[in-house]
Amino acid sequence: MYLSEELTSSLEDYLETIYLIISEKEAVRPKDIAKRMNVSNASVTGALKTLANKGMINYAPYDVITLTNEGRMAAMDVLRRHELLKDFLVKVLGISVEEADKAACAMEHGISVEIIDKLARFAEFIEICPRGGEDWANGKISHCDKTVSLEVCQECISSVSDKVHKNHCKQLQGGRIVKKLNDVRPGERCKVVKITSKGNLFKRITEMGLTTGTVIEVERVAPLGDPVEMKVKGYHLSLRKDEASKIEVEMI
Amino acid sequence: MKENLTIALAGNPNSGKTTIYNALTGARQHIGNYPGVTVEKKESIITYNNQQLKIIDLPGTYSLTAYSVEEVVARNVIINEKPDVVVDIIDSSNLERNLYLAVQLMELRIPLVFVFNMKDMAQEMGIKIDIKSLSNLFGVPIIETVGSKGDGIKNILDEALKAANMPDIKYPVITYDKVIEKYVNSVEELIKQHSTNIENYNTRWLAVKLLEGDKDVMQVIPSPIIQEEIKRANVDINEMLGDSPETAIASARYGFISGACQECVTTTVEARHNMSDAIDSVLVNRVLGIPIFLGLMYLVFHLTFTLGDPFMGFIEQFFGFLGEKANVLITHDLLRSLIVDGIIGGVGGVIVFLPNIIFLFIAIAILEASGYMARVAFIMDKVMHKIGLHGKSFIPFLIGFGCSVPAIMATRTLDNQRDRILTMLVTPFMSCGARLPIYLLIIPAFFDKNQALVLWVVYLIGIVIAIVIAKILGMTVLKGESAPFVMELPPYRIPTLKGVLMQMWERSWLYLKKAGTIILFVSIVMWALTVFPLFPENKVAEYEKGLSELEQIIEEKTAELVKIGYVVMTDENMQEAESINSKLSDRELAKAEKIAVEIEEANMQIDEINNKVAEAELEYSAAGRIGKFIEPVLAPIGFDWKIGTALIGAFAAKEVFVAQMGIVYSLGEAGEDSEALRDKLRENYSPLVGFAIMVFALLSAPCMATFAIVKRESNSWKWAFFQFFGMTAVAYIVTFIIYQTGRLFM
Repeated sequence: MYLSEELTSSLEDYLETIYLIISEKEAVRPKDIAKRMNVSNASVTGALKTLANKGMINYAPYDVITLTNEGRMAAMDVLRRHELLKDFLVKVLGISVEEADKAACAMEHGISVEIIDKLARFAEFIEICPRGGEDWANGKISHCDKTVSLEVCQECISSVSDKVHKNHCKQLQGGRIVKKLNDVRPGERCKVVKITSKGNLFKRITEMGLTTGTVIEVERVAPLGDPVEMKVKGYHLSLRKDEASKIEVEMI
Repeated sequence: MKENLTIALAGNPNSGKTTIYNALTGARQHIGNYPGVTVEKKESIITYNNQQLKIIDLPGTYSLTAYSVEEVVARNVIINEKPDVVVDIIDSSNLERNLYLAVQLMELRIPLVFVFNMKDMAQEMGIKIDIKSLSNLFGVPIIETVGSKGDGIKNILDEALKAANMPDIKYPVITYDKVIEKYVNSVEELIKQHSTNIENYNTRWLAVKLLEGDKDVMQVIPSPIIQEEIKRANVDINEMLGDSPETAIASARYGFISGACQECVTTTVEARHNMSDAIDSVLVNRVLGIPIFLGLMYLVFHLTFTLGDPFMGFIEQFFGFLGEKANVLITHDLLRSLIVDGIIGGVGGVIVFLPNIIFLFIAIAILEASGYMARVAFIMDKVMHKIGLHGKSFIPFLIGFGCSVPAIMATRTLDNQRDRILTMLVTPFMSCGARLPIYLLIIPAFFDKNQALVLWVVYLIGIVIAIVIAKILGMTVLKGESAPFVMELPPYRIPTLKGVLMQMWERSWLYLKKAGTIILFVSIVMWALTVFPLFPENKVAEYEKGLSELEQIIEEKTAELVKIGYVVMTDENMQEAESINSKLSDRELAKAEKIAVEIEEANMQIDEINNKVAEAELEYSAAGRIGKFIEPVLAPIGFDWKIGTALIGAFAAKEVFVAQMGIVYSLGEAGEDSEALRDKLRENYSPLVGFAIMVFALLSAPCMATFAIVKRESNSWKWAFFQFFGMTAVAYIVTFIIYQTGRLFM
């Protein structure tokens, strides 16, 4: 998502602030902005005029300020960059949240979207790849600083391979095992996380009680391999495997 | 106090609603179809406390969204017919899911009563419900019942009447997320400003439905301004909540339910593996499941025919007796023929199967009520899905091997109209019991060495064609979404005798009424076709020239026997005759026996003449002429006019084919075990033709009873005729292919 007009870092900060205030309170007055950003009323007025000229906000003197569609998109873009950078700093470099926040504020302007995306994906990759993970990222900071020996490395590698054997698929989301319902085996229990079907199937699934947070216990598979029977909200329900694949669950 | 109230019963499938409906209304039910759809309409009028009450049994539904035809019907009945109160039957052992419908009923803001049924099961599962608190929370009166035992049913009517007469409705309004509420309000405003024709509706309900994307409501409110607002709502809600409005609203409803249950419902024992689960572990077992199922089905068919046979015999005798009496009593030739051959013969021929059909209905009712049918659908779904059908379609197919009529009635369990009609159309390809006499006639005649194999091949052809046609229809005429399989497996229950009998009675009565009227009509038409035009008297006289001579001979010879004192032995007087005849001298005996033989021969000649007359009459009649007329069309598939004529008769009921063949070969009355008829067949046709006959009989249009039932269950003549002509066309094509390919090799 690229801005149609390039904004200075300072203007981006203003947009960010306006967006945050709006999502908290709905309407924004110039003095709210001045207070938050710790600047003078005059600076605020100047910035607001410029933003209005650029079509980012609706601004009339002595009136509430609202974001235009463009302004909202621009603000969200800035916020997104901020979050991604913060994420990277905390998860990959192990920096504390407050420091990361401050650093992100400074870094978010002027870095191209490409770079930010790659940083974000790198952070994701670190978390997913069995060879990496949080432990690895942290290990990089504690153990490896000190002594690097073959033994330490071999231990590290074998514990990774153990983890891979145990977890069929470990995704982002803080260490929960998330699967599709059709991959859950008889006897296992899980909780609904998301329903990705649409239309007729979605409505059917919902009215039978499979909403987010519902606990499912898979009972058995039919003799010919399909459909699957499960216990939900105290009764027995059956689904075809391709219907079940539209329900994402978290193992419990 | 209002007079003449209407009470509508709603509830999930398997919640015991029908049992309660039956208990409230007894056998005085009126059953029809809602116009234009295949959904059954059940209502009844009863008297209670000196008031006339109309009770409507709405179709069982899990919710009130617009995706299935049952739900739209249920919803429209509530909105348009405005019952004075709706009673929601809830399965207490399955509370949260059942409350989803309840909550949507509350959204309609109509007088409600909740019935927490199956209290016994809930107790067994250790579920304790604080009825008073729940009732206060919902603002709806709640009654507890055990429908199958009749406990608490009387209270239902009392509470319903109270609720119907109450002025305000104080249900809690479910509030959704802030952003959703914002749009509910804005859309509601727009509705009030821009819509007409909505006096029956509650505007908030309309707004929520529009946000949910309800297709039915979108037709009621097509205003583009509102559509725009809805689009905006979709974008915003997705952004803010990360979910579609539909998901968010459904979650909010369940959230409300969950909250209510957390406060008022406690589960003391987590009944993890109960009796039902234990039974399932055997019946739906990976290894044992299918063998057990096949065994059970074999048992059902076997019992049906064994138990039904004695009754069948009784009915045959009854109709035979009627026929004889009519023969004697009615003097007018034509009238006698109409009554005896046409009506008694035709109708009787179909009614004779009634005992078998009734036993099949009983078996089906038991399997359904016990919950086993759901398991059958579960086991067979994989195969059915490959054809483009639903697991539940398997049951009609199975029953179809016995008789198509109960099979087609069994399609009621399918949720989706498209699946239902597709199954109905294809079920008669499963070779039914009435076609068996045709196979039993032909197979020993031509395929003596491989009888079982050939029979099996015929059945197999039926199944294969059914699958092919199902696939083709599913991709062309009946394109559309097959219903999702998502299906409840209800816990096993012991069927109540009353419930089973009521279901059996309802369906048998339907068969008699609907099929009976069409059968009567077609019997008369068939009779007319085979009798008219009348064989001219002078021609008959030619045949019967010799008759009077023969009759004279018989008279004279019989007199001689009397003079000698000889008694002709028959089945009834064997002993008597023996003792009398033994008193004669040897010479007298010899002479008498010779005369007896001459009398026999004369009788046989009389029979032959009569048979020839019958053959000529048939040939002369409309049926015979039609047979001759279509002979060129039949030639490519190997048939002649005689087979053609017999096939016309087979439309009435398949077994008639055999009888007609007998007549056409001047054998008089012939059954499928008639060696004489088989001889004739061998003389006149090749084994290939014999096989072709069987295939044609298998695939061509089903009997008129089936035709009548298809019309009734699909609620349209269109599908019944489509099936009639379609099946005949398929039969022709397949027989053509088989016959012509066969000829290449012979």
